[in-house]
Amino acid sequence: MKIEFAPELEAFRAEVAEFFATAPTPAIREAGRKTTSVFAPFKECMEWHRILYEKGWVAPHWPVEYGGTGWSVEQRFIFAEEYRKADLPPLLPQSLGMVGPLLIDIGTEEQKAKYLEPILKGEDFWAQGYSEPNSGSDLASLSCRAEPDGDDYIINGSKIWTTYAHHANRMFMLVRTSNEGKKQQGITFLLLDRIDYPGMEIRPIVGLDGFPEQCEVFFEDVRVPQSGRVGEENDGWSVAKHLLKHERGGGNAASPTLMRYCERARAAAAKTPSPFGGTVADDAVFQREIGELEADIASLGHFEKLAISGHEIARDPAFPSMNKTINSELVQRASVLMTQVSGVDGLARQLEALRVGSNVEPLGSEFDLVSMPLYLNSRATTIYAGSNEVQRDLIARTVSGS
Amino acid sequence: MDFSFTDEQQMLRDGVGKFLEKSYDFDARQKLVNSDAPWSADAWQQFAEFGLLALPFSEEQGGLGGSISDCVAFAELFGRHLVIEPYLGSVMLAGSALAQSGHAAAQEWVERIVSGEAVVAFAFEEGHGTASPELVAMTAQGSGNSARLTGEKRLVHGGADADAIVVLARKGEGGPPAFFLVEAGADGLDARAYTTIDGRSAANVSFNDVAATELEASEEAVEKIIADAIIVQSAEAVGAMGALVAITGEYAHTRKQFGVPIATFQAVAHRLADMKIAYTKARATLIYTTALAESGAATPRDIAILKGQVGKLGRAVGEAAIQTHGGVGMTDELSVSHYHKRLLACDTTFGDHAYHFRKVGMG
Repeated sequence: MKIEFAPELEAFRAEVAEFFATAPTPAIREAGRKTTSVFAPFKECMEWHRILYEKGWVAPHWPVEYGGTGWSVEQRFIFAEEYRKADLPPLLPQSLGMVGPLLIDIGTEEQKAKYLEPILKGEDFWAQGYSEPNSGSDLASLSCRAEPDGDDYIINGSKIWTTYAHHANRMFMLVRTSNEGKKQQGITFLLLDRIDYPGMEIRPIVGLDGFPEQCEVFFEDVRVPQSGRVGEENDGWSVAKHLLKHERGGGNAASPTLMRYCERARAAAAKTPSPFGGTVADDAVFQREIGELEADIASLGHFEKLAISGHEIARDPAFPSMNKTINSELVQRASVLMTQVSGVDGLARQLEALRVGSNVEPLGSEFDLVSMPLYLNSRATTIYAGSNEVQRDLIARTVSGS
Repeated sequence: MDFSFTDEQQMLRDGVGKFLEKSYDFDARQKLVNSDAPWSADAWQQFAEFGLLALPFSEEQGGLGGSISDCVAFAELFGRHLVIEPYLGSVMLAGSALAQSGHAAAQEWVERIVSGEAVVAFAFEEGHGTASPELVAMTAQGSGNSARLTGEKRLVHGGADADAIVVLARKGEGGPPAFFLVEAGADGLDARAYTTIDGRSAANVSFNDVAATELEASEEAVEKIIADAIIVQSAEAVGAMGALVAITGEYAHTRKQFGVPIATFQAVAHRLADMKIAYTKARATLIYTTALAESGAATPRDIAILKGQVGKLGRAVGEAAIQTHGGVGMTDELSVSHYHKRLLACDTTFGDHAYHFRKVGMG
C-alpha cells in the first residue's frame, strides 16, 4: 500500500489554488456560493466550464486522447478539494459525466467526432430524457414512442424531470420502439441534435425550493434522424445501463463537496449562540453529530479514492449503487445539519437574493440564505438517478452469501 | 496510490487463511472457548511459524520488519475466524512497547515473544472506557528499574496467564504516560480472571506497590503504538463484518417463510443492502487509514474516524445479522452472535464510536 505525498503534488495544489483564486469572474464566484443543488446556476456555470476548457481542466476523468488531463488519483482529489474550497459552481453532469463518457465508450466514430468536442468546449448542453410521468423507478416501463419512418423516427409522448431542458440545446433520451418481449427489450437510445424540433415543447416545473430546475418535455409527431441512435434498435436498455454506471458511479468525487458543507456549518455554528450557553460549535451534541457526519463523509472519500485507484472495491457489481446511496444520503444529512444551525434564519424565502447578479442583500448570512434551499432541493438526491429503494434492491441482489 | 495487498501479503493471507479454515473453524473455536485453556498453544505456535509473532519487529530484534499493512492483511482473517489468541495485547501492544525501549530486559522479552515462548499482557484500561493514553490516571512512583505501581487495570487480556504485563501509567503526578514492565507473580500483584463476552481470557489486575521497570517511551511512541493497535483491531472487526454479511446473505437466500426465501422480501433485502454498504464503508476506511499510517501520515483525527466508523458500523452489521436470522440468531450455537459480541468488544475498547465521533467533531 502506498500513498504519495510528493513535493510535486504540493506544487500542483498551489497551481490549482492559484488558478481558482484568479480565473473565475465575480459572477462565477457568486454562482458558486449560491449553488443550492447538484445543478449550479446555468449561465455562470457554463461560463466557468468554458474557462476550464481553455485551461485544459474541464474533464479530468476523461481519457487523455479525448481531452482528459491524465492526472493521478492524488491530483484528481487535490483538484476536487481545491475546487470546493474555492466555492466554485460544480460543472453540470449530463454532458461531461453522462453522454460524453458513454459516447467515448460505445459511440460511433461519427458520433464521437460530432459531439465530444462541443461538450468539452461548453458549446453544447445535453438534457437527459429518461423518466416519464408513469415511469419513474420502473424506468423500463417507459412508453414515449418512436416509430421508424424512412431514415427517421417519429416520436410521440412525454418526458419529465428533465433537468435544465429549458437551457439545453441537445437531448439524449430513451424511447420505446417495440412492445414485444420483455419491456426492457423494446427500448432504443437516441441522441437529438436539437431540442427545438417542430412538435417539441418544454415546460419548466417549479420545485419545492422555488426554482424551475426540472422540466417536462412533450413530443408530438417529432421527426428525428435515425443516425442519432446509440447501439442497436431495441437495445437501448443496455446502453442506458452502461450510462448509469457513469451517472451513479460518478467520475468526480463528491466527498470534497460534502466536507465543504461541514466546514461552512462549523463556521456558522461558531457564530451562533447556543441556548445552553456558548456557541453551537461548543455544544456536545453538535460536536457529536458533525463528527459522525464528517467520519461518514471521510469514509465516502476513502471509498472514492480506492475506486479511482482501481482497487477491487470498485469492481464489485454493486459499486455504482453503493456510491449513489452513500453519497445521496450524506448530502441530505449535511443539509439537515446546516438547517439546524440556521434555525429560524433559514425560514425566510429569499429567491431574489439567491439569484446571481440580483444585488439583493440577504436577510441574514449567506449561509442562512442557502441552507434551507439546499435542504429542500436535496430531498431529490435519494429519488433521482434511480431511487435509493431501487439501489438497495440492486445492492441486495449482490449479497447472496459465499 | 496503491491500496492493494502486495503479492507477499496475499501469500501470507492465503497461508494463514488455509490454516484457520482447517484448524480454527467455528466448532474448534467454540471448543477452545469452552475449555479451561485461555487460548490455543498450538495455534500460537502456528502463528509463530507463519512469522506473525515476529512480523512487526525490526530485523535487528529478531523480527521481520513488517509494516502495518502486513498486519492488517492477516488480521482481517483473525476477525473472520474469531481468533481469541492475545495477538493484539502481546505482539502489537506489549511487544511494541518493549521493542521501542532500549532496556536490555525489554529486548529479551521481545525475543521470547517472537519465538512464541512468552506471552506478555498489556494493561491500559482503567474502567468506564479509557479511550486514549491522555485519560490514563494510574501513576507510577519512582522511575527506572525501581518504579512502583499501585492501582487497578481492567480488561487486561491474558492478564492472569501472561508471563509479564506491560502497564501504561503516568510517570509521577501529572507526568506523561509511559510503559512499565511487571513480571508475573510479582509481590502485590493480584489478578481476578474472567472470560469476556467475545471468548477471551482477561483479568482485572490490581497493583499494590508492585515493583516495575520503566520502559522509556516518548508520548509520540505511546500514541503510535495505540494507533497501530486500533488499526489492527479494526481489521479484525472488518473481517468479522465481512463474515456476517456473507453468512447472513446465504441464510436469507435459504431460509423460507410464507413459501419463499426471506431475501425476496424488500424489508429484508434492504437490510442486507445496508449491511453490505456498512461493511464496504468500514473496509474502505480501514484500507485507506492503513495506507496513511504506512506512509507515516495518519493523524489522530484519521484514527478517530477509523475507530468510530468501525465501531458504529460493526455494531449495526451485527444487530442486522441477528435480526435477519430471527430466533436462531439469538442462540449461542450459531456463529452470528459470537461475531456480534466480538464487534461489540471492538467498539467498546479504546473508546467507543460516540467518544471518537465527538473527538472528530471537536476539530
